[in-house]
Amino acid sequence: MVTLDKAKKDKAIDILRTESDSKLVTHLNSCVRCGLCAESCMYYLALKEPKFIPSVKVNLVSSIYRRYCTFEGKIAPTLVNARELDENMAEEMIDVLFGGCTMCGRCVKHCSIGVDIPFLVRKGREMLATMGLVPATLQSTVDAAVNTGNNMAIPTDEFVGTIKWLEEDLVDEMQDEKARIPLDEQNKEIFYTLNPREPKFFPLSISAMAKIFYAANAEWTLSSKYYDVTNYGYFSGNNEEATIIARHLYDEIHRLHGKRLVLGECGHGSRANRWEGPNYLKTEYDFDTITVVELIAEYIRSGKIKLDKSLNKEIFTIHDPCNLVRNGGLMEEIRFVVNSAVENLVEMTPYGKDNFCCGGGGGALAMSEYNDRRLKIGKIKADQIANTGAKIVITPCHNCVDQLTQLNHTYKLGVKIMTISEVVANALIIERQ
Amino acid sequence: MDCYGCCALVACSICFFIFLYRFIYLIKLGNPKDLSQKRGNTSKAIKYSFTEAMLPQNKESAYLHLPTYIAGVLFHIGTFLTLLTFVCLIVFSFVDITIPPIVRQIAAIILIPAIISGFSVLLKRVFSKELKIISGPDDYISNLLTTSAQLFTAICLVFPDSAPAYYIVMTLFFLWLPFGKTRHLLYFFFARYHLGYFYGWRGTW
Repeated sequence: MVTLDKAKKDKAIDILRTESDSKLVTHLNSCVRCGLCAESCMYYLALKEPKFIPSVKVNLVSSIYRRYCTFEGKIAPTLVNARELDENMAEEMIDVLFGGCTMCGRCVKHCSIGVDIPFLVRKGREMLATMGLVPATLQSTVDAAVNTGNNMAIPTDEFVGTIKWLEEDLVDEMQDEKARIPLDEQNKEIFYTLNPREPKFFPLSISAMAKIFYAANAEWTLSSKYYDVTNYGYFSGNNEEATIIARHLYDEIHRLHGKRLVLGECGHGSRANRWEGPNYLKTEYDFDTITVVELIAEYIRSGKIKLDKSLNKEIFTIHDPCNLVRNGGLMEEIRFVVNSAVENLVEMTPYGKDNFCCGGGGGALAMSEYNDRRLKIGKIKADQIANTGAKIVITPCHNCVDQLTQLNHTYKLGVKIMTISEVVANALIIERQ
Repeated sequence: MDCYGCCALVACSICFFIFLYRFIYLIKLGNPKDLSQKRGNTSKAIKYSFTEAMLPQNKESAYLHLPTYIAGVLFHIGTFLTLLTFVCLIVFSFVDITIPPIVRQIAAIILIPAIISGFSVLLKRVFSKELKIISGPDDYISNLLTTSAQLFTAICLVFPDSAPAYYIVMTLFFLWLPFGKTRHLLYFFFARYHLGYFYGWRGTW
C-alpha cells in the first residue's frame, strides 16, 4: 500500500505548476474525453479495459492539475472532473502510467485534438518519481546505470574481455591483423555506443557493426566504461537520474575527444540522448549526435560501404521502433538502409509512423511485474508479423529485439529477429584493406 | 436591449476576457526551449498539423468512427454559428438593424443538424459503457450547455419572442465556456501548434 505525506504530494503537484513554456499547460487543458483515441492504444485493443484508453491516462494527470492549479477545480472539483492526489490515485497512476503505457505516442497522431499523451504520461511518471513511487524493478535498472555506468551492471573487465574476444573473431573473419574494435582511443571521428544487452546477450551485433566500420575504414572507438546508450531515467521519470546517466556519455566523449556521438541500435536510448539529453544537461551539445541508422545511410550514400542485396534473399519485414520513427523522424532513413541491403521487403500493416509498438517500450521490459500484460499486448505485433509472411524481422532497437524474441517464442512465429547492422553486415562487400 | 440581453453580454465579456488573458499568458510562455539539434522544419510541420494531419484519412479517431467524426464536425460548425449569431444579435441591437427573416431561417436550418449531432454525441456518452466510465459531470454539462445554446439560438432566430430564454441559456453557456472542457476552444489551437512543433523539430512531419 502506497503512503503519501503532504510534502511528497506538494512536490509532485509542483511539477504541474512548472511554467517554463506553454506546452504543459496547453496539453493539460486540451483533452475533451471523446474516447476516440481508444483504438489507437495497443493496451486497450488487446485487453479491452477502459482504464487503458489514452484519455483516461491524460485525465489521471490533468484531473490533479485541475484540482490544485485551477480556480474552478479548487471551488467545484466534482463539476470539472478534478481529483485529489491521494493514495488510491497514486496506485491507479502507477498501474496505468507505468504498467499500462509504453509512451509509444501512437495515440497522439490519432487524437482528435492533438494532445501529447506520452508527454503527460511522462509528467505523471515524474510526479510518481518525486514521491518515490517508481516500480522497484525499473528503479533497479536506473540504479545500475547510475552506479556502474551501464544498466546491466556489467563489470568493466567482463566487457573488455568480451570486446577482445570479438576483436579476435573479427581479425579471423576479415583475415586482417589490422581489423580492430578500438577501446578508449582518443581523437576518433566516431564515439560509438551500445545497448548493454549487446555485450551481455547479443555480442554478434557488436561484431556486425565492427565489420561495417571496418568496411567503411572508419575511425571509431568504444569506451570501456561509458558505452551504455540507454537511459531508463527517461522512463522512470526521475530527471535528476536521467541527467546523471546522460552526463556519462557527454563527459566520456569529451574525455576521449570524440567528434561524433553515434547512438547504437536502441530506440529510447537514441531519443534520450539525441532529443532529451541536451535538455537534461541544459546545454547544447558541442558535437554531432546521430543514430547508427543515419551513419550507415551516410556510408551507403557516400559509397564508403558497398552492399550486395542478393546476400539477403529471404523475405524481410521492418518493425519500426516508436522512438526512432514516430518520435525520431527516421522512417525513410531506415527504409533506405534496408532496401539497400535486402532483396524482398514486405511492410507490416500499419507501418512507419502508424506502426504499433512491440509492447516492450516505456520501460515495460524492465518491469517484470507487468510481464503478463506485456506479452498479451504484444499479440498485436505478433499478428502483424505473421500477416507479412516474412521470415526475418529487422529492427534497429535492442529493446524491441528482446520483446520480439519473446513474442516469437510465445506466439510461435518462427521468424528470426535481426538488427539493422546485422542485416547490413550480411550484405557487405568487403574490400581487403 | 433588455436585462436578459445585458446579462448575456456581461457573461460573454467575462468569457472573452478570461480567454484573452489565457491567450496572452500562453503566448508569453512561448515555445519549449529545446536545446537538441533541430532535424526538421517546424513551420512546415505546424502548417501540416493544422491541415493535412486533420484530414479524416490521416486519423483513426476519424476514419474508424466516421459517424461520430461527422457529428463532431457538424456540432462544431453549429457552435461557431451560435457564437457568430450571438455577436450579430448583440451588435445589431445597438445599431438598430434587424436580420432579414430569410437569413434567420437559413441560419436556423443550418443549426438543426448541429443540434441533432450534439444530442447524439450526448446520448452516445450516456449509453456507451466505455464513454460512461471515462466521463464526469463536466462532459455532460459542457455538451448539454453547448447543444442548448445551439437549440435556443435556432428557436430565437425563428421566434424572436423567445429572446429572454435564449439570453438566459447563452449567459450560462458563456459562464461555463472558460471553465469546462469547452475551454478547448482556445487550447485546441495551441495543442495542434505544439504537435506540429514537436514532430517538425524531429523531422517526423
